[in-house]
Amino acid sequence: MDWIDFLIVVLRVVVVFALLLLVTIINVWAERKVVADFQNRIGPERAGPFGMLQTVADGLKLFFKESIIPARSEVGMFLLAPFLAVIPAFLIFLNIPFGRPITIGDRVIPLQGMDVDVGLLIVLAMSSMAVYAVVIAGWSSGSKYPLLGGVRATAQAISYEAAMGLAMVAVVLFSATQAADAPGGTLSLAELVERQSGTWAGIIPRWNLIPQIVAFVIFFIAAIAETNRAPFDLVEAEQELVGGYFTEYSGMRFAMFFLAEYINIFSMSALTATLFLGGWNGPTWDGVLPVWLSALLPFVWFMIKTYVLVFIFFWIRATLPRLRYDQLMALGWKRLIPGALGWLMLTAVVLGYRRFGLPWS
Amino acid sequence: MTFEIDYLALAPELVVAGTIIAALLLDLFLTRSKKYWVAVLSVVGVAGGLVPIVYMLAEGGTRSMFDGSYVVDEFALILKIVFLVSGYLVLLMSVSYIEADRYYQGEYYFLLLSSILGSLVMSSSRDLIVLFIGLELTTGPLFLLAGWRKGDAKSNEASLKFFILGVLSTAILLYGMSLLFGLTGSVEFTAIAAAIPDLVSEPALALSVLFLIVGFAFKASAVPFHFWAPDTYEGAPTPVAAYLSVNSKAAGFVAMLIVMYTALPGISEVWAPALWVLAALSMTVGNLSALRQGNIVRLLAYSSIAQAGFMLVPFAAAAVAGSDLAQAFSATVVYLVIYALMNLGAFAVVIAGARRTGSGDIDDWAGLGQKDPVLGLLTALFFLSLAGIPPLAGWYAKFVMFASVIEAGGISTLVLAAIAAVNSVIAFYYYARVIKAVWLDTPSEELLARPGREYAGSIKLTLAISMGLTIAIGIYPTFATYFGEASRVIATGGG
Amino acid sequence: MTVDAWIAEPVNWVFSIVAVVILFTAVRVVTSPNVVHAALYLVAALAGSAVMFLLLSAEFVALVLVLVYIGAVLVLFLFGIMITRAPTGFDEGLSNDRKLVSAAISLVLLGVLSWASLSAFGTDTVNTVGSPTATEILGDAILGRFVIPFEVVSFILLSALIGGITVARRDLTPLEEEERKAV
Repeated sequence: MDWIDFLIVVLRVVVVFALLLLVTIINVWAERKVVADFQNRIGPERAGPFGMLQTVADGLKLFFKESIIPARSEVGMFLLAPFLAVIPAFLIFLNIPFGRPITIGDRVIPLQGMDVDVGLLIVLAMSSMAVYAVVIAGWSSGSKYPLLGGVRATAQAISYEAAMGLAMVAVVLFSATQAADAPGGTLSLAELVERQSGTWAGIIPRWNLIPQIVAFVIFFIAAIAETNRAPFDLVEAEQELVGGYFTEYSGMRFAMFFLAEYINIFSMSALTATLFLGGWNGPTWDGVLPVWLSALLPFVWFMIKTYVLVFIFFWIRATLPRLRYDQLMALGWKRLIPGALGWLMLTAVVLGYRRFGLPWS
Repeated sequence: MTFEIDYLALAPELVVAGTIIAALLLDLFLTRSKKYWVAVLSVVGVAGGLVPIVYMLAEGGTRSMFDGSYVVDEFALILKIVFLVSGYLVLLMSVSYIEADRYYQGEYYFLLLSSILGSLVMSSSRDLIVLFIGLELTTGPLFLLAGWRKGDAKSNEASLKFFILGVLSTAILLYGMSLLFGLTGSVEFTAIAAAIPDLVSEPALALSVLFLIVGFAFKASAVPFHFWAPDTYEGAPTPVAAYLSVNSKAAGFVAMLIVMYTALPGISEVWAPALWVLAALSMTVGNLSALRQGNIVRLLAYSSIAQAGFMLVPFAAAAVAGSDLAQAFSATVVYLVIYALMNLGAFAVVIAGARRTGSGDIDDWAGLGQKDPVLGLLTALFFLSLAGIPPLAGWYAKFVMFASVIEAGGISTLVLAAIAAVNSVIAFYYYARVIKAVWLDTPSEELLARPGREYAGSIKLTLAISMGLTIAIGIYPTFATYFGEASRVIATGGG
Repeated sequence: MTVDAWIAEPVNWVFSIVAVVILFTAVRVVTSPNVVHAALYLVAALAGSAVMFLLLSAEFVALVLVLVYIGAVLVLFLFGIMITRAPTGFDEGLSNDRKLVSAAISLVLLGVLSWASLSAFGTDTVNTVGSPTATEILGDAILGRFVIPFEVVSFILLSALIGGITVARRDLTPLEEEERKAV
């Protein structure tokens, strides 16, 4: 690897980081606007055009506020927790391809933080790591509400991760049969996107969404639960737990939890788009449009798909009331996991039949 | 690379696995008063597992799958019969016991069946991974079953002691296996055996073999890895204790023998003395401790430790003397078969006796023979058989054991034989003590005043089967010899 | 292999650092007087093991280690510690008087094991550069050659699950039982 390749790798990571920060600023504002519209309010409008700079203002405010460390806290862990929240959130998005690989000279640059063979596993592993931030924050605060929030988060993460993983397995299984040349499964996200290019019967895009609609629904519900968003936000239910696991946090450290939450929303939407909506696939009209536009279009498609899902996140938050704790557990263990298992089995049977025929013939 | 799966060879396991799932599903749809149907299903399923085994035995030959890691030869089939029949008897004696108290019945049978499945898998394993997993499935559910009487502190103690020591021994076993794998670069026994000669001088190899022995000796509750056994047997539900003393002990035993015999014959100078010491210690410590027990289950626990020592004798003797291991193998298997039958019978007697007297103390059993002559007779029968009195099956087990030792020859084996002989005498003393209490002591007022209740049919059936077989083998030992001869097949199989 | 050659290999540097981390955290797991700290040290030790697997180009195993042990098993540990009334603060009762004896035995065992391992594997070298093992090969092995243990493991897990639920669940009192019958 010479220094240019190294530079490109660094650049890719920096681009991803910058993108995430920018997107977070927009998303916080967008959520407030969208929810305000749902509730027939105006929302932020003073700072900047349409209040777009509101997030920046809030961020600055938090930056200058005092960061309090409670006397009864476990200081080391208390300081570590916000970082544990942000890092996995960032690492998840690092694996997601957000545009078609660009060819400059003889180098092919994938628009993706990192492309590894087991990308999907990294995503799963990182999303399971995210719970540590919540647990450690809740426990180290040395106060009862954060502890309760932490305990809830643990149970929730474990429950919904299983459903999420199972839904992913069904998708991987399905896409194993979708490769034109090389039969066999893949866990690489770039490859998964590649396999969703093209169309069925000329008009229907070959997205996993259509044949894997059940997996999509399960995955998306689990994704909302994984990010602790409404209606699964028992972890931070204000009426019961004050602020949940970050009750004792303030200033910049609070801002980091906030940042992690919004990065997670965006990452999960992007992951859903990648797995089910064909990622950056879309018409690029190569040769018709200028080269730079054709190269940019996949990124645009990716962002559009992701933002549709982000909007659904906001929509659900504005619409649905919060679940009770037993309902949360019942939904996870008695509906989603059996549902995902059943769907996985059905997928396996159908694919097996199409590939090998009946077992006794 | 694809592997052909021989479904007939797997049929016993598949039948039991199917029964497990069916039992679980059935339990879901039954009301509490109808739960005994789960027991019926389990018993039928286990008996059904015997059908393909008998078919394969009649057909003969060795079936080998997955690069020789899963072998169904006559040795494996014989052991599967032992595990299934003893599992069958334990299931039978559980029915009334489990129904009487308000335990979770469906789950109980599910766990017991899982354990049986594990021992079936284990007896076919010719590879470290299959062996380990099979052994774990055999013991794993028992940790939970030992603590099944949740409200009882003793049961909790039983479960915890068993679990903590069991996990420790599993870790040691696994460590030994990983060292062995690291040294030989293979998990298959034949490949390991082939790689051993180049490695004999490695200290790590000796260490790994010792670790393996420690792990297996724990499962077989051989001294000095027996500390959990008496407390666990006493606290666990009696049928579970019976299962622990027969199936799970036999599983540990068989696993040890398979590994030593098929994978590690090249390094017998390390494990032979270790087994010799284990055998001598188990017999002596087990018997001496049994002398002082007042509780019948604890007595049987120590007796089963001592019996494990007797079982080890032929193999240890042959290995130390460097003589034919196949002979020792058949002697051990014969002993195992007979021990399983009579020990299960003894436990069934304990269950019945505990119901009649309301106690597990031997002193409270005084005069049981007057109160209930049939039960008294059965007590005498099984305990005399355990002591090795002709014409009951136990004598033949002892006979085969001594015969194989004498055949092996050598000073150290003769010392072992002498230890075994002295221990047989000690054992006779405490077995006879129970019989004396039952027949010669005067019954207490309390016992005579207790209403004579009818026993459940399943317990009667258990007693009848084990009694019939114990007497039959005692009078006509060729039947057991067949088992022993068939088990020699392992000498040629495994490839 | 000479010392110079050993130092020249960057992988060995990473290995050394990670090994020290694993050793330190592993010792702290057993010596920490606080259960939650012990669990968190275990997380660190396991994460270090995952890095070891990565160094051996076993990506899949490393990630499964993270996913299963760190992401699920230890989260459940922490959950168990927090949801039960186990002390989450410092607890002197976590270690007992036999500490020194246990430490001595552990040290002897460590000595014997290191001596044996060094004698057996001391001269072996691990190939540092290798392409990652394809997930496909692992899948084929698990569902081919090792299909029986794989299926049997599912029974172990199922029995642990069902047994665990049965043992952990609260028994109905006789009164509740009557109520249930009435319904």
